[in-house]
Amino acid sequence: MTLDEIMRRARLWRAGEASAEAGLPTGFPALDAALPAGGWPFPGLIEILSGPPGSGALRLVLPALAQLAQAQRWLIWVAPPYQPYAPALQAAGIDLSRVMIVDLDAAEVSASAGLARCGAAPQAGDGQVLWAFEQALRFPGCGAGLLWPGALETLTLRRLQLACEAGGTLGVLFRPSEFAAQPSPAALRLLLTPQPAADVLDITILKCRGGLRARECRVAL
Amino acid sequence: MNTNERPDSLQRLVHPAPRAPQLTGLQETKSAPQPAPELWLAIHLSQLPLDIATRGHAERRACVLVEGGGTRQRILLANSEAVRLGIRPGMPLGAAHALGDVTPLPRMPDAEDRALAQLCAWAYQFTPVVNAVPPDGLLLEVRGSLHLFGGLHGLLSALRRGLRELGMRAFAFSTAPTPLAATWLARGRQAATVDTLAALPAALSALPLEALRLPSRQLQDFSGIGVHTVGDCLRLPRDGLARRFTPGLLRDLDRALGREADPRPACTPPARFASRLDLPWEIHHAQALATGMERLLHELGGVLRARSALIRTLDWTLHHRDGNAVRHRISLVAPSRDVAHLARLTREYFARQRLSSPVRGIELLAEDFEVRTTVETGDLFFCGRRADGADERWPQFVERLQARLGPEALKELAAVPDHRPERAMRLAQFRPSPRRSETKVAEQDDAHRRRRPRPLWLTRSPLPLPEQNGRPALGGVLTLGPERERVQGGWWEGADLERDYFIARDENGTRWWIFRELNGRPGWFLHGVFE
Repeated sequence: MTLDEIMRRARLWRAGEASAEAGLPTGFPALDAALPAGGWPFPGLIEILSGPPGSGALRLVLPALAQLAQAQRWLIWVAPPYQPYAPALQAAGIDLSRVMIVDLDAAEVSASAGLARCGAAPQAGDGQVLWAFEQALRFPGCGAGLLWPGALETLTLRRLQLACEAGGTLGVLFRPSEFAAQPSPAALRLLLTPQPAADVLDITILKCRGGLRARECRVAL
Repeated sequence: MNTNERPDSLQRLVHPAPRAPQLTGLQETKSAPQPAPELWLAIHLSQLPLDIATRGHAERRACVLVEGGGTRQRILLANSEAVRLGIRPGMPLGAAHALGDVTPLPRMPDAEDRALAQLCAWAYQFTPVVNAVPPDGLLLEVRGSLHLFGGLHGLLSALRRGLRELGMRAFAFSTAPTPLAATWLARGRQAATVDTLAALPAALSALPLEALRLPSRQLQDFSGIGVHTVGDCLRLPRDGLARRFTPGLLRDLDRALGREADPRPACTPPARFASRLDLPWEIHHAQALATGMERLLHELGGVLRARSALIRTLDWTLHHRDGNAVRHRISLVAPSRDVAHLARLTREYFARQRLSSPVRGIELLAEDFEVRTTVETGDLFFCGRRADGADERWPQFVERLQARLGPEALKELAAVPDHRPERAMRLAQFRPSPRRSETKVAEQDDAHRRRRPRPLWLTRSPLPLPEQNGRPALGGVLTLGPERERVQGGWWEGADLERDYFIARDENGTRWWIFRELNGRPGWFLHGVFE
């Protein structure tokens, strides 16, 4: 097999190549301008690396989630760190009748896996959480799957990216920023740096399919 | 001996096919014979006792069916794995053990009868005229079904696939215009497809007499006079045959050749499904139950198709070694008869279970048949994945998650018009039925409250915060924002609130939603996180 043949295989992505994926507008013009697809890669897996919940990562995807719900697609939250607060989601324009929460604490399935309640991310070994997330991403009726994982193997990330492509969904991983250095097959990786001034986020684009237009951008939430 | 019948019988010998209808005399002048009005398909399950005993296991062992007791146990049937070891029917069990590792199984006539009855109910999906031929045969009248299945070939391949799904490994088919001829041909492994009455004598003539299952005494007598095949038998004079052997034999031959009517009672399919599968060797892990469960689900699928019905619940009973029978109920959100879906649900459900003791038998019960008169296209086009039709598969998706994670793991979220923060949302067990969008209604109700800042995350219950120098702390001392929101009320429900809510910032810049309790136990509590 020559190098050319390998290059022609569809599964090989080369940095700088225009991506075939359509963009899902993020709702933030500054971020749309920085992303090659003009929005979130859709379908695709994105990683948002930030501090603990509260650093603005969820607000970054809310406009896209609202759009997906509007398009009658389901929003599946898998093992969120706290309870999503319905009035605030509604105020952000999200149709709550399209929201499903997979709450493994309630099912006591995760009791053995050591899922702590408040704020702690599920461990990578928690098979049920990952299973549910992958099923959600593979399901075409789902618009977006949200997960708050800790450490994940590269192979797992690859599986999740393929699941997004198979289901035509947006997979969002909210991860602690310490995983920024890990190589990842996700279509897009963002590192958030919260600014002391409320409602401003500095975003570093760590990786993006289709080439970078800008490495950094500032978004007013 | 029946002397009255003799002139009649003689006449029949002269006119071998009196059933040719008189009114179609004009057509009879054509040289091509008309196909008989009925076409019987016989299925001979030559290893039924072995197949039903071993079909619950994915593992294939060399198994033999034995009869007799003590040291005189002989092998009645051997499966293909046992035959490969050199084991043959008729061998003493001791000799078989010497040839290799083989599992002897006893005969279970009750289980065989039940299995045959289940097969009848299952086969009802192919034709409304199904008849059991104990102990190991089925008869289906298929003339009317041929068109539906695209001819005999299509029907046979559907049957073959279906029987394999049920775990039947050895079966032979034959078709003939009379039920008895079809049965004999199938037993004789002729794989014959006889379409006309005129072709029957030729097709039957080479058949060995063993296929008729005559008493062994009669068989010996026949072989004593050099009669080995049905053809030999037909050449004998009728009166002699009737005198020397039982008149029953003559009647059977007449029926097989279509000279005498052979009415068959039609079996009616049951209105509920109950089937049991015994496991000859015990199963220790829930995952290993999948093979047997799929067999039963395929049986159920056939019965549901036959009755054009759907079901909502699967009741599994596991019979354990310790004598306990444990029931497991799997409820479906939307009625279904899709075997692949039911099998997936069952697998996910039992993947969560740990067996208390080894399992010896599996039983499946399904009673709540919902008869649908409209044709379901779901079975046919299940693999189609249209973006607009995605919602049709949503209930099945939800069921799959619930089967594995437990029904209480899935939650739905709703906003409730209430000014008390924890009452303004409802987190309830998920119902996959489509809900109307609640946003618009709620929007008007609490438009005034939306001006108030609300966090995206709420803690499950307020968490008490430690204090440093009289100020709330979380890691370090929190900086309170300027706005204070007084929330009070609820005395009418016995829970009187009086709280002052603040937005507090920690040194990382994270904004927390905290409140000071003014009523009851004073102190600071954490209630939410802003993003």
